[in-house]
Amino acid sequence: MPVLSQDQKFRLVTLMSAHIPHAALLGIRVDSVVGEELTLKLPFQDALIGDAEAGTLHGGALTVLLDQTLGLATLCSNLGEPAVTPTLDLRIDHLRIAPPGMDIYATAKVYRSTRKILFVEGVAYCESREKPVARAVGSWVRVADVDLSWLRAAELGNYQE
Amino acid sequence: MTLTDVIMQEPNVQTLQRWLKKVPYAVFLDIRADIRNGEIVFILPENKKLIGNPSLPALHGGVVGAFLEQAGAFHLIAKMNKPALPKIIDFSLDYLRPARLQDTYAQCTLTRQGRAIANISIKAWQEDFEKPNAIARAHFLLPETD
Repeated sequence: MPVLSQDQKFRLVTLMSAHIPHAALLGIRVDSVVGEELTLKLPFQDALIGDAEAGTLHGGALTVLLDQTLGLATLCSNLGEPAVTPTLDLRIDHLRIAPPGMDIYATAKVYRSTRKILFVEGVAYCESREKPVARAVGSWVRVADVDLSWLRAAELGNYQE
Repeated sequence: MTLTDVIMQEPNVQTLQRWLKKVPYAVFLDIRADIRNGEIVFILPENKKLIGNPSLPALHGGVVGAFLEQAGAFHLIAKMNKPALPKIIDFSLDYLRPARLQDTYAQCTLTRQGRAIANISIKAWQEDFEKPNAIARAHFLLPETD
């Protein structure tokens, strides 16, 4: 099977996100797909504050965003067919405190894919990716293929590459 | 001052209940706490808004992680002479089985207290303590004391 185009990946991830209620509730949305890299955006909201005095984001909100981004990045990998992939483990280093009131972005990419396991890494940041607030690495388990017939069929009807 | 002075043995229930209301994200998740047999047990009540996988249905894995991180922080706060927010340094989470749409519990073990850093292990379960849904390990930077 040919790898998915950026546009196909964007639509696939957007569709999958719509079926994850908690992420939708937090307003997490797909920002971009560039090659095999996925970027999601978490809009700042007061409910996600961890330190009420400083008004800064809770580390747990970053965990939700990073779990979501690294997990969905498995769909953007060219190393094997997109699959349903529950999280096996996730490790997060909190590098600096996110400035209060700022939207957070997370970018992730699969760096190794085996028959059963996908190894993914990513970062969370505000203004600049060069100044990440957190860095994450984790493993996801390939349990079943995702049915992509709808996506490929739609693509054939829409435009020629 | 050594950390044994900072971290008390017995959890302070009043401090704990007050801090549950002081952290906006903990309020958003509706995290609660109880003392059972001298141990602090944290509760993440069943709530549809926490669903990550509607077909099981199961809680969002990130939420389970957030709950465990917050449980670890509150566990430390409840044992401090001068309660203050510890800062998360790193967090490592193993998912063992999906957390179903029901109440989730967490209990912490303070594995090591250094001068400035605490190592804490946190376990999440639902129906059976012996069948954890997730286990986590965290390092927290403790607030400086005078």
